[in-house]
Amino acid sequence: MWDQVKQALDQSMTNFLTGLAHQLPGLVALIVALLISFALAWVLAIVMRRLLSSIDFDERLNRWGFASLREWSPMNSPSRLVSRTAACIVILAGFLIGIAAFDAESTSLLVQSVFGYIPNIVGAMLVLLIGSIIASFLARSVLIGAVNLNLHYARLLSLGVKWLVIVLAVAMALEHLKIAPGIVDLAFGILFGGIVLTLVLGVALNSKELVTKSLERDAKEPSAENIEEPFRHV
Amino acid sequence: MEVDSIPQPTQEERAQIDSADLVVGILADLDRDDIFMLCDGLRNLAGSPRIVVLQRDPVGNAVAVPSQDTSLSLLPWSAVGPDPLGEPLQTMSLACRSLFAVTEKMSARACCLLASRMESAAPGWVCQLVHPLLESDFDLVAPYYAPSKLQGLLNSSIVYPLTRCLYGRKIHNPLGPDIGVSRRLAQKILGTNRNANAGPSQTHPLASLAPVAACDNLQICEVHLGARHYPPTDWMNMSSILGQVLGAVFLEMERSAACWQRTRGFVSVPSHGERQSRSQETGTLEMNRMVETFQLGVRDLQEIWGLVLPPATLFELRKMSRLTPEQVDMPDELWARIVYDFALAHRLRTINRDHLLRSMTPLFLAWVVSYARELDTVGAITVEQRIERLSLAYEAAKPYFISRWRWPDRFNP
Repeated sequence: MWDQVKQALDQSMTNFLTGLAHQLPGLVALIVALLISFALAWVLAIVMRRLLSSIDFDERLNRWGFASLREWSPMNSPSRLVSRTAACIVILAGFLIGIAAFDAESTSLLVQSVFGYIPNIVGAMLVLLIGSIIASFLARSVLIGAVNLNLHYARLLSLGVKWLVIVLAVAMALEHLKIAPGIVDLAFGILFGGIVLTLVLGVALNSKELVTKSLERDAKEPSAENIEEPFRHV
Repeated sequence: MEVDSIPQPTQEERAQIDSADLVVGILADLDRDDIFMLCDGLRNLAGSPRIVVLQRDPVGNAVAVPSQDTSLSLLPWSAVGPDPLGEPLQTMSLACRSLFAVTEKMSARACCLLASRMESAAPGWVCQLVHPLLESDFDLVAPYYAPSKLQGLLNSSIVYPLTRCLYGRKIHNPLGPDIGVSRRLAQKILGTNRNANAGPSQTHPLASLAPVAACDNLQICEVHLGARHYPPTDWMNMSSILGQVLGAVFLEMERSAACWQRTRGFVSVPSHGERQSRSQETGTLEMNRMVETFQLGVRDLQEIWGLVLPPATLFELRKMSRLTPEQVDMPDELWARIVYDFALAHRLRTINRDHLLRSMTPLFLAWVVSYARELDTVGAITVEQRIERLSLAYEAAKPYFISRWRWPDRFNP
């Protein structure tokens, strides 16, 4: 009996070691792929950071209305955020290549599905980017307009508009990523409705005077001298 | 005169009007009597020049004038057509360019744009505007309206001192809008606009007139036209006016940067006519509301102003915002620097240009409050003395502006 146990153990050890020996080249390939991708990512990050610094990327982003990106960036530098994102993509690509070499048959499906998901990720990122641009632009427009109208809740209004657009963009991006679409729809509805309700209440409770003035202005006779008013006031 | 029974020029007669000595474009909301008075005045011009008067009329009809009068034709603006620029006259900019194009097409010696009504309807005021063009060969005849304390403040606070300081000519109302222009200057303006790409880089003809005339050393004069009737100012809707007017002025500054950086000092231009004063001041200011808007701007627009104004200016503004409404006072030096900083930010496109100019509104309102309060004090100086002092502040700050314009990154105090 002990002979049979010993034989079974020997066989399982042999099977394990044979299996391990079969996986070893793949494992080494994974490690090498990861090492190379780390090195490439490091070089790419340095080059990108220097390139972006040379064109004052951080300052330009500020001018283009993406000041809020600074808050989300490592060390408050959007250049670092961009360069690190690029580095992460290179490392991820190296990892996928390594995984594919590890066990071509079982991992090819994983790699395929990951690569198939990339267009969704890119689409979602584009939606977020465009949403962020529109949100910043509208928030600034509303803020300036509200201050000029002497509305004391100008900042609240501006923030409300900004978050409305951002919530919409995030919901669209998650929809694009196919992450819990049911929950996203529900959460979006609740958040969007909540922000609109807050804004309506905030504005309605404070803007009686504004509405009265606006109605009075509309009720006035339009001037016959209606050709490009501004230069008549100079 | 039985005007209704007199026929208008027929289509054929209109087509035959292919040349003139003077083209007058009327954008002002004038009634029939005013137009007849104006035509009578023009008929009496020395030398009997052939005159075409274009009247903007949405239905395409002009007030009829005697057909036997061959020296003067009164046409609806749309009849000089098709419109030389193929665009409807929806803006004053288009109207100006159309007028200049008609002047060129008819080989007229000069043209004249009338866009205002005068408070004292003296019949000769149009002739005063035209006379230097035809008799003395001036290229630009700018109006000199009787100074008003509470009207035309955008001109008093920015346009006039800035034009005087940058281009070295003391033109009190450089943007008109009632102006006389020689054919030579009209050609230059049309050429400037043709060279610029259509769209945002195209400058406004009214904003280009004084700079082009000054930079090309053309003959400029002013005519005292009396008190102008201004449309009522909606102080709560100043941002769109600021945006459009300053946008045009700053765009022209960018185009003519090489010229104004060389200009030093200023000279007065010859003036014609008798200086007149305003019989009564109209308009009121809601000073407390204006100060509130300024304080709100200091509180909420920091992130925008921080991109445009240097820290020292922001510090001054914060200090001002903590004062009571009665104490708010914007020093001329600070105001001049603010205007220059916004002009620079406009050039650099630091932020969206429309946002930039609109965000200047609370600062403008603060200046208006401190200006009006100063004029209201007992034994106050006159409007002209006050604006003269402001102009000197602009001149003192010009080196600062030139330095920032040339080295925006390196020179940022």
